[in-house]
Amino acid sequence: MNLEVLVMFSLLLFSIGLYGVVIRRNLIAVLIGVELMLNAASINFMAFGALHASDPTMGPIFVLFIIGLAAAEVAIALSIVLSVYRQRRAIRVEQLTELKG
Amino acid sequence: MAAGQLALACTMTPLLAFVVAFVLFRNNHAMAIATSLLGGAVSLAAAALLFIEGPQSQPITMEWFASGDTQIFFGFILDGPSLLMGTIVAFVSFVVQVYSLGYMAQDSGRGRYFAFLSLFAWSMLSFVYAASLLQTFIFWELVGLASFLLIGFWYRKPSAVAAARKAFIMTRVGDVGLFLGVILLLEAGGTLDIVTINSPEMLVTLGPKVELIVALLFVGIVGKSAQFPLHTWLPDAMEGPTPVSALLHSATMVAAGVFLFARFHPLFMAAEDAMGFALMIAAVTTVLASTMAMVATDIKKVLAYSSISQLGYMIMALAAGGLFAGLFHLTTHAIFKALLFLSAGAFIHKVGSNDMVAIGRAGGRQLKTTTLGLVVGGAALAGIPPMAGFFSKEAVLHVLGADGFTAALGAGYLAAFMTAYYTFRMIFLVTRPNDASEASPAEPVDASHAHGDPTSTMRVPIALLSLGAVALGIGADALAGYLGLEAPHASLQEMAPAIGVALSGVAVAWWDFGRSGSAQRGFLRGAPAVERLFVNGWYIDAFYKAVVARGVEAIAVVCHALDVRAIDRTTDDMGQGALASGQAASGLQSGNLSRYIALAAVITGLLVAWVSNA
Repeated sequence: MNLEVLVMFSLLLFSIGLYGVVIRRNLIAVLIGVELMLNAASINFMAFGALHASDPTMGPIFVLFIIGLAAAEVAIALSIVLSVYRQRRAIRVEQLTELKG
Repeated sequence: MAAGQLALACTMTPLLAFVVAFVLFRNNHAMAIATSLLGGAVSLAAAALLFIEGPQSQPITMEWFASGDTQIFFGFILDGPSLLMGTIVAFVSFVVQVYSLGYMAQDSGRGRYFAFLSLFAWSMLSFVYAASLLQTFIFWELVGLASFLLIGFWYRKPSAVAAARKAFIMTRVGDVGLFLGVILLLEAGGTLDIVTINSPEMLVTLGPKVELIVALLFVGIVGKSAQFPLHTWLPDAMEGPTPVSALLHSATMVAAGVFLFARFHPLFMAAEDAMGFALMIAAVTTVLASTMAMVATDIKKVLAYSSISQLGYMIMALAAGGLFAGLFHLTTHAIFKALLFLSAGAFIHKVGSNDMVAIGRAGGRQLKTTTLGLVVGGAALAGIPPMAGFFSKEAVLHVLGADGFTAALGAGYLAAFMTAYYTFRMIFLVTRPNDASEASPAEPVDASHAHGDPTSTMRVPIALLSLGAVALGIGADALAGYLGLEAPHASLQEMAPAIGVALSGVAVAWWDFGRSGSAQRGFLRGAPAVERLFVNGWYIDAFYKAVVARGVEAIAVVCHALDVRAIDRTTDDMGQGALASGQAASGLQSGNLSRYIALAAVITGLLVAWVSNA
């Protein structure tokens, strides 16, 4: 497959994720945006690993790590969101500005 | 015991006594006094043993520190002058301590007082025996500190505090000169070792710089030994307790300057111009101080001015090359001036007033020992044969005459006349009170300050010193032999003018103050303008107040304005600026997560763009 197409796809995915993180007000939606960005990175690893690396297993190894980390991250992040909701009854980003200067 | 250990014992015991008395016995007067007295006795014994053991040819030194090629030593010089001076210092300190037992018996701060006396003894003794100029300088300053503490001992009395401050600041003016001299000497000569400095090779090394160095060192002496124009602190320093005056202003502190002169006599002698200058300063001082003493009404002020004048004699002798005459006069003066101060203290103790007329009218002469001390000390001061002061003053005049310093000799004779006059004016005012005379006490007698008859601890020192004031004169030859110097031998013909001048001074004083029916106002009342000039100390203090103090004040005002307008403003503005920029930047910290991430993304994007462009 063509490397350019793959990189463009991953860029698109990353941009969508970033857009979601910045624009969406719901904390869960923000998390989904983060997941999209992580997956964009995974696609980059797979693409470069398959087409450029001397050892083609390099890409999948990194991706496996990213998947594992993402799972752990989601678990923690969701529990934080849950705890925030319990405490404040809100998961909207603009309502959680306690730490402003 | 080895000489080094003795010297160590002599100098360090007072320090130990000071620390113990000041730290351990803060609230225990009796123990503090006992410690201080014990320290004084031990150091006197050590000084006496050292004196008996005789001069050592080599100084005892150890290296203190080295900086580059310059080694600084710490140690003791045990030659004739330092042994003599050390013994005088230890003796007078101890005598004053014993005397203070009675004089300060009712003072609530007497423990602190005795501790300070020990501190003073330590500084002064270490100064005298010091083997390096740096050591000399350090203890010179410590002497200044101890005298500040003692003069300002009654710190609740504003005048005492002012006097202490004045003494400290004015001697400091001289010390700046001394310090510059020390630095210059170190730079030009490469050593601070006193023996090396006094060696003939040093003069070759220094070359023409010696004039400047000696002149700067002399400025220090002018400050410490209260010479014109830095003499005005000494009369004010009479605010301290009278035994302190006896210690500081007769034998020790003010004599430190003279001793420094004697210590570096070979070096000083090489600087002819500076010596001419010193001679002139000393001659002016001697006459000027005598004129002030002639009109002073306070018995301690009379003695203070006479101290200044006698120090002038010593410096005149030293500057004219008479090392022995200077040291001999220093010795006798230490004894008879301490005696006079202690006697004056006994009168003040009894009457509660410093005014001579008041002391006389209150029956001062009923104190037999004290009156005897006053007369003996006064006769010695006036230079009446065969008192000690006569021989030493004669030695000074002999040096001046023999080496052809005519102007200084004239000043010496003039001052000798005035000395005899004001001394016997003091004696007659105290011993021959005349209620009908024109004299009136300048200050009323304050009965609350009268403490009754002098105790035996006060009388014994007076008797002891009286003996010294009589006997020391005969010891001139023995002393000269000890010091390895030549005593001047004057024939009766040469002595005649000095005796004549002294006796005529006494005669005039008798006519003015002594004879019954005298007005007791002095011949100067015929010239009120002159009298006013003398009473006001030639307006030197007034001049300082008007010109120097105002000048310093003007500088201070400018400095203050600079401080407020420039330095304070700058620091204030810097603080305000930091605060304002912080306020502005804190707006970025909105607490809104989305905005943070957007900002981070934008900055990262910019960074990436920048890196990939480069």
